[in-house]
Amino acid sequence: MKRYDLITPEGTRDLLFDGCLARRAVEDKLAALFEGFGYSEVVTPGIEFYDLFMGSSRNFQQESLYKLTDTKGRLIVMRPDSTIPIARLASTRLKEAKLPLRLYYNQSIFENNALLKGRSDEVVQAGIELIGGVNSKRADYEVLCTAVEALAAFDKDNFRLEIGHIGYFKELVKKLDVSESVREEIRLLISTKNYPALNDLLDEVGENQITNALKQLPRLFGGIEVLDKAADIYADDKITGILYNLREVFTRLSSLGYEGKISVDLGIVSHADYYTGIVFKGYLSEVGQSVLKGGRYDKLLGEFGNDCPAVGFGVNVDSVARHMEKIGGVPQLKTADAVVFGEKGYVVEAMAYAQKLVRDGLTVENSLFNTQDESAEYAKSKGIKKLIVVGSEITELDI
Amino acid sequence: MNKPLRIALTKGRLEKDTVGLLEKIGFDCTAIREKGRKLILPVPDGNLEVVLAKANDVITYVEHGVCDMGVVGKDTIMEMQGKFFELVDIGFGRCKFALATKKGSKFYGGYDVKTVATKYPNITRRFFESKGMDVEIIKIEGSVELAPLLELADGIVDIVETGTTLKENGLEVIEDVCPISARLIVNMVSMKMRQQEIENFVKLVEENID
Repeated sequence: MKRYDLITPEGTRDLLFDGCLARRAVEDKLAALFEGFGYSEVVTPGIEFYDLFMGSSRNFQQESLYKLTDTKGRLIVMRPDSTIPIARLASTRLKEAKLPLRLYYNQSIFENNALLKGRSDEVVQAGIELIGGVNSKRADYEVLCTAVEALAAFDKDNFRLEIGHIGYFKELVKKLDVSESVREEIRLLISTKNYPALNDLLDEVGENQITNALKQLPRLFGGIEVLDKAADIYADDKITGILYNLREVFTRLSSLGYEGKISVDLGIVSHADYYTGIVFKGYLSEVGQSVLKGGRYDKLLGEFGNDCPAVGFGVNVDSVARHMEKIGGVPQLKTADAVVFGEKGYVVEAMAYAQKLVRDGLTVENSLFNTQDESAEYAKSKGIKKLIVVGSEITELDI
Repeated sequence: MNKPLRIALTKGRLEKDTVGLLEKIGFDCTAIREKGRKLILPVPDGNLEVVLAKANDVITYVEHGVCDMGVVGKDTIMEMQGKFFELVDIGFGRCKFALATKKGSKFYGGYDVKTVATKYPNITRRFFESKGMDVEIIKIEGSVELAPLLELADGIVDIVETGTTLKENGLEVIEDVCPISARLIVNMVSMKMRQQEIENFVKLVEENID
């Protein structure tokens, strides 16, 4: 029988030294930012019931979930997302808590990806959820500011935050007299900016103001002028309101010192049955996929019997960390300050001395060799500059 | 000057057609015409860098963002799938996916589960799934036409251009699956971070396709 005891499963990897430092640095930065804005950390279980991820607005493809069963035969999944468990938590244990709730998380999610595509099946995500709040506009603004601060903290010259509103697409497509599956097809084609296929499909539906507007939707991205274009193409009261909100948020964010870093894409239409308002994505140049995703989801908590608006985002910690490593934005691995060697009969004293040095804030390695020469050789090979020999007296030797 | 935009071309016929298109736009493609064994080639006046790759790899490189754009057939896109923008139907290599059987055989008759041979198992699976029909799919690497002749399969799903090969082997198309042609695809982040350059390039392409 073939044994798989020397490799890790497809889509997973061991993280070593520099990689750990980079990840930790990104996590610390985000945690400090989130805590600075008054968010408190929560941790949800790594496994949850399958049912949690099967609601009207939270459908995950069956094949993308890692599944197992519990002792009673109930179907369990490895957490594929953190927002839904946090919505469950906020609607149960925190139901009576004073609103708004400011929660943040930093944990792995699991996705069963297609093989050999170079994608990770286990990804660390950190993010915030702002739940409740009387004024949704203020909540949107707060979360967007936090997102932009997060991106700027990583690579302040080379990021982009892109804002859209799912309502623009939803309002348009609602007015089409077509089946649900055609609507879904239109959504898919817009999200992949597949102009040719979208045009063909909408030509079949018929020529009118709405199909004309939908045809142009994937092209509606760029600077603030996009909002004017959108208003020219089609506008009713609702859409005018949506565009007005976007303009306001855009101007406010830009005025924080981020001109040129904020853009608009009305074609962000992913997870249309989950998001209900503003949606946004964050990019770092040279990273092939978005590193931050979020939006407003006012219906989700209602599915857990807790009708309450919410907005949030998640950051892909792993891809940010890899980027930071590449651009040299993370701390370097430290070599130890000294090797401590106890002569024969002085093992306890040597360890006590090492302990004292560590308490003083130094990094020391305890020598496991039998002789001073071997210890010196070891220190030299690891680039450690000092050997401390503990015997009847304590001698410090430079290597 | 900015870093050049990197575009991956599918080696072979699509590469030749695309180079023709780039030259029609007015770019100097000497480096590609005289490439030797090099795989990354500059198009200096277009501020472009051309990468030559196999069809499936074009998608992989664009999806990961190591190439900003790619030219690849719709057949590969449908088989591989993935996350990228599919901006332009360039129109080269126009043909279709079709379901073919031995002449005169009744594929859609009877109760037994049919066997279909193909080089494109994902496309085939989705096609029959959309019909709510169970079929057994067998992946074949070479000439798929052999499978029904050797009675391994009841039908095949394959790319059909003129239909000559089918005819010469006593097969006929009984249903079209979908049309195919070359597409210009773009990485999702590049599209946003380098919007102006990519839009300019796309405009040139659109103006110069027949």
